[in-house]
Amino acid sequence: MVRNFKVERHHARIVSKSTLFKVLDYLDSREITTPCLLVDKEKVREKVSLIGRGIRNAKVFYALKANPDMDIASFLQDERDLGYEISSEGELNVLASVGVRAERIISSNPVKSEKFLQAAFAYGVRRFAFDSSLEVDKMARLTPGAGVYVRLSVPNEGSEWPLSRKFGAELEEALGLLSLAREKGLDPIGITFHVGSQCTNLYNWNIALDKAKILWDRALVQGIALRILNIGGGYPINYTRAVLGIETIEENIDKLIREKFPPDVEVHIEPGRAVVGDAGILAASVIGKAKRRDENWLYIDVGVFNGLMESVGGIRYTYLVESSKGTRRNWVLGGPSCDSFDVIDKNVVLWEPDLNNLLLILSGGAYTVSYASEFNGFSIPKTVMI
Amino acid sequence: MVQREGSVCGANSGCTHRPGAHRRKEEREMIRFFERDPYSPVEHVYEVEKVLYKGKSRFQEIMVIENAFFGKVLILDGILQLTERDEFFYHEMLTHVVLHAHPDPKRVVVIGGGDGGAVREVLKHTCVEKVYFVEIDEEVINVSRRFFPSVSCGLDDPRVETRIMDGAEFVKRIPAKADVVIVDSTDIVGFARTLFSSDFFDSVRRALTDTGLFVTHTESLHFHKDLVIELQGKLREVFPVVDLYTVPIATYPGNWWAFAVGSQALCPREPRRPLQISTRYYDDEIHRQAFLTRRFYRRLLNKELPW
Repeated sequence: MVRNFKVERHHARIVSKSTLFKVLDYLDSREITTPCLLVDKEKVREKVSLIGRGIRNAKVFYALKANPDMDIASFLQDERDLGYEISSEGELNVLASVGVRAERIISSNPVKSEKFLQAAFAYGVRRFAFDSSLEVDKMARLTPGAGVYVRLSVPNEGSEWPLSRKFGAELEEALGLLSLAREKGLDPIGITFHVGSQCTNLYNWNIALDKAKILWDRALVQGIALRILNIGGGYPINYTRAVLGIETIEENIDKLIREKFPPDVEVHIEPGRAVVGDAGILAASVIGKAKRRDENWLYIDVGVFNGLMESVGGIRYTYLVESSKGTRRNWVLGGPSCDSFDVIDKNVVLWEPDLNNLLLILSGGAYTVSYASEFNGFSIPKTVMI
Repeated sequence: MVQREGSVCGANSGCTHRPGAHRRKEEREMIRFFERDPYSPVEHVYEVEKVLYKGKSRFQEIMVIENAFFGKVLILDGILQLTERDEFFYHEMLTHVVLHAHPDPKRVVVIGGGDGGAVREVLKHTCVEKVYFVEIDEEVINVSRRFFPSVSCGLDDPRVETRIMDGAEFVKRIPAKADVVIVDSTDIVGFARTLFSSDFFDSVRRALTDTGLFVTHTESLHFHKDLVIELQGKLREVFPVVDLYTVPIATYPGNWWAFAVGSQALCPREPRRPLQISTRYYDDEIHRQAFLTRRFYRRLLNKELPW
């Protein structure tokens, strides 16, 4: 059965024709249980090959938290130069179960549980981030001799999902932490920062790299020769509009790194969203409609709790709806749960669907399934690679 | 969508103070057709002399306009399908390559192509005994008969059997195996996408004789390279021989139009019969030259071509 989707220009700006064709073809040719997340393998492969290409000596580590699906983790194993960035035993278990070698794994979570440190060290992981002296104590005890990189606090303005207040040491403190790590028998190898997820402000990387440069040089004065500059993630993807391209971002970053850092610096990048975000389309079903005062409500089987948590933080999606009607309406988009907080979006103009028609959420591959809970008994979307 | 160019301030607008400014013929309000292909990075705009037809079938919006350069133009769901001036590039190259790659095609299926252009070309081959013309939207045939007699002219030929139905259903229940199956569809992400599914390709293979060939368009190599590659891969899962050739088309966005061939056994690059039909673009040299060089084709499939 060919489902009737009216593809328009604002969809074309967000999802490539080949990804959309694959998804629609998949949905036409079988009964699916919604909600489910369809991830285009080719698009993932394309993104992986693009990220890091514009930066000298770059190594890319997929931030598993964006989508820790076993099939994705396994698929990425074939990308020979790609590593993984993890934070927990759960994530380590995913990688262990698909047989990822320890050399490909780093952990950039500055505050890690002791259990995780033990498990990761036992597995063979030897690179960890930190930003406090207590963490140095923990690591000296549980991961002796490991390579450690300090998390520097940098501005997150312009990122749609800012992160910086929770983590990151200021310059003086960071310098002290690197020395402390050395004293305690750890190997201080580098610096990391995070400009914030979905960062659309090119200038954030400038400020962060300036700050990292100061720390790099001051560490050298203290006899600590750093080798790794971990620039975190933050590469944005298209949700409702075209954002900065990866080539543009990396051209800028590469220029700055070449200016400021020694030629043999190893640059680590930790994209999550940019790897799987725009390769994924979340398919939901219409489970109800209602007119409430002057608002049209559309209820779908994925909501804030079971997949669209980021809508709370301000991420807005582009939707493609199955419809056989010729009317467009302005909708309030509600999730399936009984909680009144479960509202995904407002002022969404869509063709009017019928009950059980599909609603596709474009660029839904990252931080959807991994954030989801089964609150109120609604199922978490299953990830399917196509 | 047809838009009236009313808001443009030109020499004839009220803001001119030029004495004796007359409203000349070419300065009259011109109606324009803006093609709305969401996936085209360029937008084609055509001046409209006249809107000859505008209607809605069960499946799509159908429109016929007259343009000074291209002649009559057929538009389905806002996307240009053919123009009187250049339709032969598409129709000749869609049909004659696989028909000439076959040593003796007798039974041919044309799916889609309600305008009749592909059928007209197939009928030029005297060896062809039977053409199943399978179109889902009868309105397109009616409109073509009315406005494009030079395109639909073959539809009454006694060798043609017209079936108004979904081509995917037809090939599943084909009465006897065909030598050639030709798909002439609308856009891949529209309602014609059933004609690009693995299921359909598989039914086509089973509907073909042991030496049969299948051809379908797979959009612009300039704009939709990924899709071209994707469909080559899908065909390869079904057919032992898969290939690709391209044709320059003035009016399709991206212009460098790709045609995918799936074949049971025969290599489509070689014509197997002498050229005995009259054509305006296709000939045996064009046939060979239309295929990508083997190196370029390999690099394309290996995704070594960055654009």
